[in-house]
Amino acid sequence: MKPVYIAGAGMTKFGRAEWSLIRLASEASLAALHHANLGEIPVDGVVVANMGAARVNKQTALGSALVDQLALCPATAEAVENGPASGASAFKVGCQAIASGMADVVLVTGVERMRTVNGLEGTDFVASLSHPEAEYIYGVTLPSLAGMFARLVMDRFGVERKHLAMVAIKNHDNATKNPYAHIQQTVTMEGILTAPEAIVNNPPIAEPLHMFDCCPVSDGAASVVLVSEDVAGNLGGSKVRVAGIGQATDTHAVHDREDPTDLKAVRLASERAFAMAGLAPSDVDVAELHDAFTILEIVESEAAGFFPRGEGHLALERGETALGGALPINPSGGLKAKGHPVGATGVAHLVELTWQLRGEAEGRQIDGAEVGYACNFGGFGNNVVATVLRREAE
Amino acid sequence: MSDRVTGGKCAACGTVNYPRRLVCSNCGGETFESVEIGGQGKVLTYTDVYALAIDYETRYLRLAIVELDDGVRVTGQLLDDDPTLGKRVKTTIGVVREPGEKKILGLQFVPA
Amino acid sequence: MAHISELEASLRPPAMEMPPYPPKVITLASGEEMVVRQVAREEVPTLLEAIYPLLWVERDFYDIVGARLFGELLAYKRYRVKDEYVLAGLIDGVLAGMVNGRLVDGKTGMSYHTLTIRRGLRVGSHLFAAKMEYHIEHCGQEEVLIVAESPIGFRRWMIEYPLEKRFEVQHELGGVPSWVLPKETYYNAKPRLAAGRRPVPDELMKAAETIALPAEETVVRQVAGEKEESE
Repeated sequence: MKPVYIAGAGMTKFGRAEWSLIRLASEASLAALHHANLGEIPVDGVVVANMGAARVNKQTALGSALVDQLALCPATAEAVENGPASGASAFKVGCQAIASGMADVVLVTGVERMRTVNGLEGTDFVASLSHPEAEYIYGVTLPSLAGMFARLVMDRFGVERKHLAMVAIKNHDNATKNPYAHIQQTVTMEGILTAPEAIVNNPPIAEPLHMFDCCPVSDGAASVVLVSEDVAGNLGGSKVRVAGIGQATDTHAVHDREDPTDLKAVRLASERAFAMAGLAPSDVDVAELHDAFTILEIVESEAAGFFPRGEGHLALERGETALGGALPINPSGGLKAKGHPVGATGVAHLVELTWQLRGEAEGRQIDGAEVGYACNFGGFGNNVVATVLRREAE
Repeated sequence: MSDRVTGGKCAACGTVNYPRRLVCSNCGGETFESVEIGGQGKVLTYTDVYALAIDYETRYLRLAIVELDDGVRVTGQLLDDDPTLGKRVKTTIGVVREPGEKKILGLQFVPA
Repeated sequence: MAHISELEASLRPPAMEMPPYPPKVITLASGEEMVVRQVAREEVPTLLEAIYPLLWVERDFYDIVGARLFGELLAYKRYRVKDEYVLAGLIDGVLAGMVNGRLVDGKTGMSYHTLTIRRGLRVGSHLFAAKMEYHIEHCGQEEVLIVAESPIGFRRWMIEYPLEKRFEVQHELGGVPSWVLPKETYYNAKPRLAAGRRPVPDELMKAAETIALPAEETVVRQVAGEKEESE
């Protein structure tokens, strides 16, 4: 396998989009291309990550659309769909092209524009990832799967609502330092949990999860430029290497999981990624996890290998995962506050990590960050892609 | 519309695959016998979900994952005013979703 | 009391005795305190300024809500609607949202509009509940008739309280079929939908004495979201 590097990263502000789906993708792509500063070096291929365009935007063949918008024809192009893990899957596909020697430069762009449909349609669309006969017909939605998961984890490991609130408070705070974040609003423990008004401020969504435990619906796009070792050498400057990628799947229906409190696919994907990278969780300086629901940040931090099983909430309580802590998690604001344009999220993780490793994450920079880890959680944990990035000396 | 929920019992190893598959998740076998899913069991976990998708007009829906006594796990709607983890329930078949004019039948759980 | 001409008097609706809304304060998710208080006629021009930019935002029925609310507030100010009230939510004195309605008679209230300016903090939910509180708890009414222009926004309240159908009654807003919130349903829903503390501490009340406007750019951006792309 040939080495793969990230030469450029860019994204649009997440939130309610002014632009069309393809324009969003193009703007993020251009930002990444400019950042990479390829000069005369051609782009060999484009990979687009997206989950919902066919249904909510009534548009298909996004790879073909984007490659034309960026005037990159006759470069290769296709779209990748893996639910909420579309971004990291598309990234994986781009990396494979370079690692195999089939391409030298690949642009990977994730995009989603879901706010064009109302909340009911959006919820139903995301629910379509559940099992049609065993889950969907019962009114199962992604929040309901997260709620059932949260109840079990809280019962078994002593995680309390205050821990979930801590995740939200931390990520909202981080997001105020990220100009690309959807939500620019801090929240307090009093406002979302302890005040009598909290029941109105923070109503139940899928008990025990409440409104501030769930990420918003966002539009946006994120993009990275992947290059081969030769091209990276020619470009000079900071070198961010794709040290490891791992993916694993688990049963479709959540009730079929061996241990319904165990994020097995996160664990396996992370083990594979670290093995490829020749690194361990303890080497990680900064992590971007998939906190579509606050409970997931806690449990993913354990399954990824950062904390022992059942102790993620204790590390959170001790401040270890804050910006100034031993292992900052979600400096970008996480899905919770940075936002979650579904197809873009997996790529946005890597954009943030790239900026962090290059010392370009102004306002929320983790000093000296050298190794970054990201986890993109597809389905409800039945398809996970984990990535390890590493800064190399110039 | 069927009024039974069925799974596939593997002819080779006897594992009930629910939801159904073409290949047994336990032994890789490809021959199955259709078996009815249901009976008594206990609540593994549950939630009251308020952020409902289309087709529902109720304020919330109470969903649960139940582990049946025969080991099969199922997802369905919990019709119980006082749910607790581990509570004994039994399955019934009822209307679980009404998209437009259709009525979809599925598993519901009531206190045993 | 200023002297008004007989003709002017004849054009004013007779006013029912309406108790003042006792102000309350609500801690929002951000930790900020929102004072909910009644709006006096002299303060209406400030509210009109806030609403004005919305009159041309088609999305989510903001244009019609804005236009109707504008007219209702003017009518309140100039004594051309019977027994109307207006409540505002203020954060550090800055307008976060407003609600209005009127009393049809001792028994029945007519809810008009709810406009949220500061998003993401459930200001609209708090203010809607505050006006139901006003009708039922402070004015002693039996029920409140409710409709909405936007189906998505309305669906939430329809299901949350829940509201009942009273379709045989035409709501004043365009004669459309009414929904109703009966007193009993309000009290059942109150623990989870209505919040706030009284009395409002002095320094917060002082800060809420004058209504300050958010920037216009903020109003359009906050209420209606980013500008739509023109093709």
